[in-house]
Amino acid sequence: MLNTFQQERHAMLPETTHDESSRQEFVKSFKQYVQNKMLPNLHPAYSAQVAQFEKEHDRLPKDRREIRKIMVKDPGFRTYASANRISQELQWESVLTSIERQLPELNAKAKKLSAASGAELLIDPNFETPRYITALDIHCMPGGYAGEACEDDVSTGALYDRGVYLYAMGYMGPHNDDLGRSVGNYIKRNLSGFTPTNILDMGCTVGHSTLPFTEAFPEAAITGIDVAAPQLRYAHARAQAMGAEVSFQQRDAAHTGFDDNSFDLIVSHILLHETSGKAMPQIFKECHRILKPGGIMIHADLPPFDHSDLFSEFILDNETYYNNEPFWGPMRDMDQVQLAKDAGFPADQISFDQAPMAILEFAAAEDKGYEEEAVAAVADREFEAGEFAPGGGWEVLIAHKSNEVGGEA
Amino acid sequence: MSDPTVARYSKGKRPGFYADPAMDEAMSMIMVLSSEFFVLRERLDTFEAIAAEKGVMLSEEIDSYEPTQELAEQREARKQEFFDRLFFVANKRAAELASQDSSGRYAAALSTIAEE
Repeated sequence: MLNTFQQERHAMLPETTHDESSRQEFVKSFKQYVQNKMLPNLHPAYSAQVAQFEKEHDRLPKDRREIRKIMVKDPGFRTYASANRISQELQWESVLTSIERQLPELNAKAKKLSAASGAELLIDPNFETPRYITALDIHCMPGGYAGEACEDDVSTGALYDRGVYLYAMGYMGPHNDDLGRSVGNYIKRNLSGFTPTNILDMGCTVGHSTLPFTEAFPEAAITGIDVAAPQLRYAHARAQAMGAEVSFQQRDAAHTGFDDNSFDLIVSHILLHETSGKAMPQIFKECHRILKPGGIMIHADLPPFDHSDLFSEFILDNETYYNNEPFWGPMRDMDQVQLAKDAGFPADQISFDQAPMAILEFAAAEDKGYEEEAVAAVADREFEAGEFAPGGGWEVLIAHKSNEVGGEA
Repeated sequence: MSDPTVARYSKGKRPGFYADPAMDEAMSMIMVLSSEFFVLRERLDTFEAIAAEKGVMLSEEIDSYEPTQELAEQREARKQEFFDRLFFVANKRAAELASQDSSGRYAAALSTIAEE
């Protein structure tokens, strides 16, 4: 199935020349090829390597780390892993060129749009960016989430907006919002009667997943928080450009500074695996503290490894080693249900579930390139570790805070 | 004040995938060149599409175009020169063998020139 998905333009998205656009499209096509053709080639390669291993050791590899040791020498794996890394580097480079060319204009545009918004943009001049964000540039994105080229800069926000679209090959929809949309749908379809009035999106970056909640719950007050100022500035301007008014605030999800019992819904989307071993449990505790009694937290990320398929675990763990995602693997060795219990959520109120992808909606809306067949192919496929986005649905961890005021578990 | 510049390299040591780091470099270069190939190819597509919108069916004319002798010779020369550049290292190696140049002669030069 040919993927011709196209990101929808909005006023903050950097302009591209013909050649810049071609370079970006090349990356998207290359990533699709890596996923469709190079990734499946690893199975025969692994079979051959593991047969050799078994002959030498009289047993199978015991964990994903041992599999890595034998696979890094495999020529097929080298080609795959190197191609994957290069696609990531070309992706950022193809976007950076267009951003640098128009950076002062982009920053001026963001200022103007933000000034026209009725919602608050809160940047904390004394904010200390957590080390898990500054130690490595996550996803190999030059500058990282919080990097600034100049004062009041939005460049890494713009880079993230366009880069994520290419990274996801358009699977997240013309506005990169499939995750937020899917979680919103999930709440409406599965938590009947629950209509949140005060929603917090943690680790919102440029607001991709935040804005769908304005559509799902038009009456609710919605706040997005993140640790990275350039992402928030861009988010605020982008929301205004897209006709949404959402408050974006620079706050740490582990220590938000919000009052107790402030929100009835707290969501996060692919945030947890980008935090740290100490920050993640603290984020759960903070969620419990600032949720109202009866409130709900939903984290759309990934469940712990269950060790049923070590080869898939090894493939998934490539992100840890090759894509500057230091917490990706370790996070999946942590017991998130236990962390939620420790944070005070009642044991019988914590569960993992799947929120079906909203991608079919993009075909129904006739978004550019979202042909029905191509969209169905993404939604219906059998997921293979290493692909972007599951076929069936996003994994979500859901926990309800006890209804009793002050009721701690 | 000069225009602000954005970071071009991500913080975090780049992993190597091959036994020889040169192979990692070469793979990256090949993909950059492949990208530029499609950039050019798409510029041509666009050229043809815009011409077609204006009623000039370039792609049909391109397909049926017979190059003149002059153009055929230019093309062939260009390709042969390209192969020379593409196989630069192999060609240089052959030239070294032909002139009996060697790393021994190079080392000898290093140790003697300074003295001469």
